[in-house]
Amino acid sequence: MNRSLAGASVQIDLKSPTLKEAEIELLSSKLQETYDLTVRGVEVADEPAAPPIAAAPTTHVISQTTDPRPSRDNEPSRIVPHTIRSGQTEEFPQGSLIIYGDVNSGGEVRAGGDIVVLGTLRGSAYAGMNGRLSAVIIAMDFAPLQLQIGNYVNRSSVSQAPRGYPEIARIGAENVIIVEKFVKF
Amino acid sequence: MGRVIVVTSGKGGVGKTTSTANLGTALALLDKTVAVVDADVGLRNLDIVMGLESRIVYTSMDVIEKQCELSKALVRDRRVDGLMLLAASQKNNKDDIQPEQMKAICDKLRTTHDFVLIDSPAGIERGFSNASAGADEAIVVTTPDVSAIRDADRIIGLLQNARIEPINLVINRFSPQLVGNGSMMDQDDVLDILNIELIGVVPEDSGVINSTNRGIPLVYEDGSPGAQAYMRIARRLTGQRIPIHNFEQKGLLNNIVNWFTRKR
Repeated sequence: MNRSLAGASVQIDLKSPTLKEAEIELLSSKLQETYDLTVRGVEVADEPAAPPIAAAPTTHVISQTTDPRPSRDNEPSRIVPHTIRSGQTEEFPQGSLIIYGDVNSGGEVRAGGDIVVLGTLRGSAYAGMNGRLSAVIIAMDFAPLQLQIGNYVNRSSVSQAPRGYPEIARIGAENVIIVEKFVKF
Repeated sequence: MGRVIVVTSGKGGVGKTTSTANLGTALALLDKTVAVVDADVGLRNLDIVMGLESRIVYTSMDVIEKQCELSKALVRDRRVDGLMLLAASQKNNKDDIQPEQMKAICDKLRTTHDFVLIDSPAGIERGFSNASAGADEAIVVTTPDVSAIRDADRIIGLLQNARIEPINLVINRFSPQLVGNGSMMDQDDVLDILNIELIGVVPEDSGVINSTNRGIPLVYEDGSPGAQAYMRIARRLTGQRIPIHNFEQKGLLNNIVNWFTRKR
């Protein structure tokens, strides 16, 4: 959730009219206490006459999706403005690492949070080193020797030639690390 | 004041000693005064490659132990003006020399020579730190294979930590045929990983073995592709701007063959 939206008024846009009054109330109070958002109205796609909660004019329309990822807002990040070469290690247990360069074969990056490589990842990356399974590894070109997220390791299957587009590694269903094209976070 | 350049690689057998001998000789052929220093204490080779092994009386160890003057330990190469060799001791080992002692020798040599080339041993331990202690610049030699490149990458990190720059890259034993059929990395692949300045590409040249065995550096016989490559690197070291030679086979037939045989 973008911090700059705190305190804003929103309208909930429901794709199908499946929520009851009480559930909408619960959703509104959750939005209020978690994100400091004031719900101004509810709009249901198939029903033009949606029951309004408050009769105020709407300002924003936001489609809410549930986000299982914890907020990274209050977490520090470290920027490493160079390539990590073979035999070099960059470790940052307090938060996320951003590498302005490559991580070469034999090099290693470890972070408590996410790892973002603005170059080619050829070495080893270990995100969520304190056990956070929601951590991700993003690289502009993905050809890692070894990936680890939390206590899950992925070795042979990820070693590949760079594909020429950014990719993201995360823990997917059945607790295996999956690597897929990075479209958006 | 001369330039002190360490020739290093991390991995063994990629051509450090061959490159040192040829670049030293090539620079002397370009009318520079050159001292080549073997830093591989205990496993010296540079004297053999340069064909001077029978003339070595004193070594850098004797200079450090003050058994003789530095000028007396330098062996003059009689085939070309201005080329000297300082041999390493064969009976000592690398821990017998301190980095400061190597630095003192380099600082002395640079007052009398335009170029001081130091032939580093393989590895990242004491031998390497001795060899690089007195150097301002480095030449990293690699072959286009993954293990040599990873070791070169490691050495480049150590050189950068030691604030040695520029670090120039020589890609040795390059084979256009193998690149053409997709089984060897091309120079762009290597540069993409190592990301330092390329100063030359030396093609695979079977003449190197013969030249090593006879103790006559390749550059004396200027017809061979390897000799020409080393001469070009030496010219670049002296500041001449010479474009990097492209060994890759171009031409319609090759492109068609490559297109079919390429592993993707």
